[in-house]
Amino acid sequence: MELVFGMKDVYPWEAKVRRSIEARLRTLFERWGYAEVEPPTLEYYATFEKTMSEEMKERIFKFLNRDGKLVCLRPEFTTSVARMFAQGNALPLPLRVYYSGKVFRYPSSPFRTESEFTQIGLEHIGQSGPAQDAEVVTLAILALRETGIRSFEVDIGHASIFRGILEVLPLESEEKEEVRIALKKRDFVALQNLCSRKPLPLPLSPFLLQLPFLRGKKDLLERFSFFSLESEEWQRAVRDLSKTWEILEDFGVTEHLSINLGLVRDFDYYTGVVFEGFSPDVGYPLLAGGRYDELFQVFGKDVPACGFALFLERVLEALQKETSWQEGDSATPSVLFYPPRLRKRAFELAEKLRSRGIPLVMEEHEKETILLATPRGSSTLEDLDEQAVENLLRQEDV
Amino acid sequence: MKRLTLTLPTGRLKDDVVELLSRVLSRPLSLPSRQLVVDDPSLPWRIIFSHPKDVATYVEHGAADLGLVGKDILLERENEVYELLDLRIGKCTMVLAGPEHLTREILFRREHLRIATKYPHVTRRYLQEKGLNADIVVLYGSIELAPAIGIADAIVDLVSTGKTLRENRLHVLEEIAPISTRLVANRVSMKTRTLEIEDFVKILKEVVSGENRSETSGQS
Repeated sequence: MELVFGMKDVYPWEAKVRRSIEARLRTLFERWGYAEVEPPTLEYYATFEKTMSEEMKERIFKFLNRDGKLVCLRPEFTTSVARMFAQGNALPLPLRVYYSGKVFRYPSSPFRTESEFTQIGLEHIGQSGPAQDAEVVTLAILALRETGIRSFEVDIGHASIFRGILEVLPLESEEKEEVRIALKKRDFVALQNLCSRKPLPLPLSPFLLQLPFLRGKKDLLERFSFFSLESEEWQRAVRDLSKTWEILEDFGVTEHLSINLGLVRDFDYYTGVVFEGFSPDVGYPLLAGGRYDELFQVFGKDVPACGFALFLERVLEALQKETSWQEGDSATPSVLFYPPRLRKRAFELAEKLRSRGIPLVMEEHEKETILLATPRGSSTLEDLDEQAVENLLRQEDV
Repeated sequence: MKRLTLTLPTGRLKDDVVELLSRVLSRPLSLPSRQLVVDDPSLPWRIIFSHPKDVATYVEHGAADLGLVGKDILLERENEVYELLDLRIGKCTMVLAGPEHLTREILFRREHLRIATKYPHVTRRYLQEKGLNADIVVLYGSIELAPAIGIADAIVDLVSTGKTLRENRLHVLEEIAPISTRLVANRVSMKTRTLEIEDFVKILKEVVSGENRSETSGQS
């Protein structure tokens, strides 16, 4: 049978690497005081309708349930987590939660195929400030390190940078919309065309066109503080970023970190710091997140939050490219061959071995003895007395 | 430091693109004619030649840091790449065209409209914006024949001089988008190779605007 278009099977060797990365991230998140949540796979479409961009809404898997209601496969976790905690009555805030699971989206263009992705991520709910932003960014960096990727980087930007720019641009609202769409699509040719059609005051137009190259450490913020007098939004972005950076410096994680004033995120719900993690070997981000202080309002609560999600399939691609992929290490189980006559005894022995953590399969054979074949060699057990079993177990423990 | 990888289109645009890069180098860029991957240590870039339609895909997936690609392909594929510079070569227009005796108004009033194109995605979006229902017939070549042989009422295609349209007794009903070759960059390369890409864009920009000044009216 064919696979459904966009779906993929995971075979044992890959499953093992996936699970081990997931286990390491769980341990990391739990050590930082985050608790696991599991929102359902299926949600009402209405839940996402208010939080997703038009483009993302088109990519959601939607269908009718038997009550005739429009439901969908979750396209991401953040909205579900917000719904979950906006519904609960007395939230003990702040709340630190993490999740791990599949999300579903139709491909972003007719020329892409993947539709099922694994996201492992976390949300810090109930507090808003540089300390919380720094905690989440730090965890993003630690999470990437924990996956085993050697060269990775994280870029941090701010949703209010674009808002600030739009605020101060002396343009009609129609042209502003043009700028917004161009920035979102990373189409700087459209911006150049607009700027030559509609000359902007001097610092603005070169700045706008330079945006995708404005990447650096903290000094970048000082270089571009000239905006700050005119725009409230811009002021906030610069303030948030420099305070967060200070904390991240104290945490000692700025080595892999850059400030990027042109950072664009696909989700519309971000309101503050945004960030992306990537490896030079893979063409798309491995991790993405940010602050979304208005998302809970959609569900009737005014609670700030910040979080990120790591895209496991892309992380695997980066590991593969770095050749640190441990493909062959899926443990081959030992085999216990037994004659039907000794089945009961063989089963007891098998359970003993398994309880010691030895992966084991049982196979009937026609010989009269029990034979144990391990990856290191095989031994025949003529006589299954307690002593022989003990010896064997001791041997296997080595 | 690893050099930047550039993807260039084969076919119609190749000569223009090689000529442009020669100007960037200030010396003729001589490339082996059949080789698709050029890893010449005397060049500042590694070069991959690909089908024009694949350039942006290579860049999007990180097989190349930068690519030179027609805007028509970018509109059709909507690749997630940075569009950095208009190279002002390969200029033409994407248009809706139909038989000479038809106006746009008459055509749009038809109940069953059928449009032939190489660009189904762009055409679908265009029709949506116009609020029109139409069947799209996807063809790979000689789009301009479609109305004459009766498989479509109109076409969406690229036009440069309009000569081909006239020869097929078609005329432009509406301009959809101006097209030219663009420099695109991978999202991650923009972050990991920021300075090198910025330098390349700067030089290319100078070359392109210089070229523009001395431009005679040379259209193919």
